[in-house]
Amino acid sequence: MFLTRSEYDRGVNTFSPEGRLFQVEYAMEAIKLGSTAVGIQTAEGVVLAVEKRLSSPLLEPNSVEKLVEIDEHVGCAMSGLVADARTMIEHARVEAQNHRFTFDEAMPVESLTQATCDLALRFGEGVEDDEDKEEEMMSRPFGVSLLIAGVDNKGPALFYTDPSGTYIRWLAKAIGAGAEGAQSALQEAYYKSMTLKEAETLALRTLREVMEEKVESNNVEVAAVRTDTKKFVIYTEAQVKECLSRLENRDS
Amino acid sequence: MQLVVDPVRHTTSPLVTGGSVIGIKCSDGVVIAADTLASYGSLARFQNFSRLLKVTDSCLLGGGGEISDFQEIQRLLENLTTQDFCFNDEHKKSPRSLHQYLGRVLYAQRSRLNPFWNSLIVGGYVQSQSFLGMVDLYGTTFESEVLASGFGVLLGLPLLRKAYRPDLTVQEGIKIVEEVYRVLFYRDARSINRIQVATATVDGVTISEPYSLETKWDFKGFVNPRSTYDESTW
Amino acid sequence: MWKESSVVATMASLQRPDFMPYQNNGGTVVAIGGEDYCIVSATTRLGLGFAIPTRNVCRYSILNNRVVLATAGMFADTATLHKVIKARVKIYEEQQDKPFGLHSAAQLLSNTLYYRRFFPYYTFNVLGGLDEDGQGFVYGFDAIGSGEKVKVVCNGTGQALIQPILDNQVEKKQQYENKQITKLSLQEAVDLIKDVFTSAGERDIYTGDAIDICIITKEKGVLVETFQLKQD
Repeated sequence: MFLTRSEYDRGVNTFSPEGRLFQVEYAMEAIKLGSTAVGIQTAEGVVLAVEKRLSSPLLEPNSVEKLVEIDEHVGCAMSGLVADARTMIEHARVEAQNHRFTFDEAMPVESLTQATCDLALRFGEGVEDDEDKEEEMMSRPFGVSLLIAGVDNKGPALFYTDPSGTYIRWLAKAIGAGAEGAQSALQEAYYKSMTLKEAETLALRTLREVMEEKVESNNVEVAAVRTDTKKFVIYTEAQVKECLSRLENRDS
Repeated sequence: MQLVVDPVRHTTSPLVTGGSVIGIKCSDGVVIAADTLASYGSLARFQNFSRLLKVTDSCLLGGGGEISDFQEIQRLLENLTTQDFCFNDEHKKSPRSLHQYLGRVLYAQRSRLNPFWNSLIVGGYVQSQSFLGMVDLYGTTFESEVLASGFGVLLGLPLLRKAYRPDLTVQEGIKIVEEVYRVLFYRDARSINRIQVATATVDGVTISEPYSLETKWDFKGFVNPRSTYDESTW
Repeated sequence: MWKESSVVATMASLQRPDFMPYQNNGGTVVAIGGEDYCIVSATTRLGLGFAIPTRNVCRYSILNNRVVLATAGMFADTATLHKVIKARVKIYEEQQDKPFGLHSAAQLLSNTLYYRRFFPYYTFNVLGGLDEDGQGFVYGFDAIGSGEKVKVVCNGTGQALIQPILDNQVEKKQQYENKQITKLSLQEAVDLIKDVFTSAGERDIYTGDAIDICIITKEKGVLVETFQLKQD
């Protein structure tokens, strides 16, 4: 299979005769190795939940950070190469603050997603026609996928981005190693009139189904942007525990 | 330590200059006129210098102020129209866009503190519509039915405004600007009674050969300036 | 070290520009924000010294159907500033897929002016429109971007003549007795604007010829009418 791809999978900007960009496709493969993350949009807000892989008991769970704030009204879950995500998120944060500085208002979630994706196919901050900066440019696509959740004047929104720079709006979306199973679980259980609480439970149940480890309060992260407050909040361990206990109660 | 540099040279005052330019919009075209004098300070240095240009088949330019800057602007416009010609797509810059273009050029130059020291009047006639606009050395742009630059703002504009009617013909327009130049010649010491009149009409752009205006110096006020005191405090 | 063509540049010759890049073309702008309307108005005279090179220039820009910008001061800077702001509004409305708000316009204008802190646009701006709730508000700015959100403002050469009258008639300040404070209707506000400009035209040589009055309402967007002043 890989033999037929030779020659055309070297350059990031070279199409194969079939019209494919292999490096971008490989980058998408990298995401399938990443930890699972899910996002669910409801009328009350958007929930994000991610799996944390704690490969050793000696590892400090708090240092594994896969849910981050972009601006006070937008948060993001990532899967894939976390270091690549840092570059994109840094860019997104600058865009969001720049918008606030220039227009004295929160940046709409969709245009913030678009601004983030603008970076994805440029493979980094460098400017192509500037020779001095060329060396600063990255030579490969970002091996990361993001779930960007936020609330703006149009209400709550959840966007999914991939290494090709495409972004798509979803009501509920799973990414990472368990994406396939998790996505069908979400499709099964999602309904539009869901409350935020129900979305929290669904997100954790979906993670539980695809995670190898038992779901504990220290190996998952949960966050939400509520429609009423328009604020992105990462849940404390106690809050995650409470969500988990709700999940267990429902099961019993 | 002393700072040894080749200083950047800017136009800080004009040297060889043209005087007033006059323009008037007519129902069937526009008229722009200028005298043919290029002064070097108070010296009437070049007495047969043309300050009117044909830019396109439908657009005219008249310029006052620093002559060398005017010639640089002429080069810029030639580049622009040459490009249009090379594209060979029948498209030509409209008088309005050339006016706006000159406005941006002169504004950019003044912002570098190195102005093109000119007053420009752009005229044109496209699709049965007359255009008349002005640009100054600060990049100020505006359109008007009657325009004048230099001394013409003080002595010419009132006469032009009085004479203006929306239904003026180009022939009447020419008579009006001749009269304005006659008045200017009597009182503007940096003027000459040799003028050129250019028109843009449905037949295209024409620039007349320079010709002299009839002058009359035996007015009572000219012969005996004291007698004017009866009517005016000036 | 010394070259024939070299000149020893003293600090004085480096600092002093021989060409003064500014020109005062005068002009007065007034804006009133009402309960459900906003009015932005500007004179059309272009003055220069004791001359009037033209009587009919446009000093306002309709940014969208609820925000209008009007500017007095140097006309070349005014035209440039309006071009810059209009381009930014167009890009914003494409990228953000929503209309440009009044307070965003105020922030953008303030930044745009302050960006040129050390080579300012010689412009005195008022910005008027309807906010998110449909209420009329106006902003007044100085040449380098300081501004405030108010109900009524005047800028430009007629400022000293007009602002006190507006304070008195719109904000009901400095009243001799405590009169009952009533809010101006749209028609009363338009009439007041016509009055203050007519008065200023009597005393300020840079105010005259005509005014453009932009009336902003939620229902009708921006309507523009012209009111003639004296030409002397």
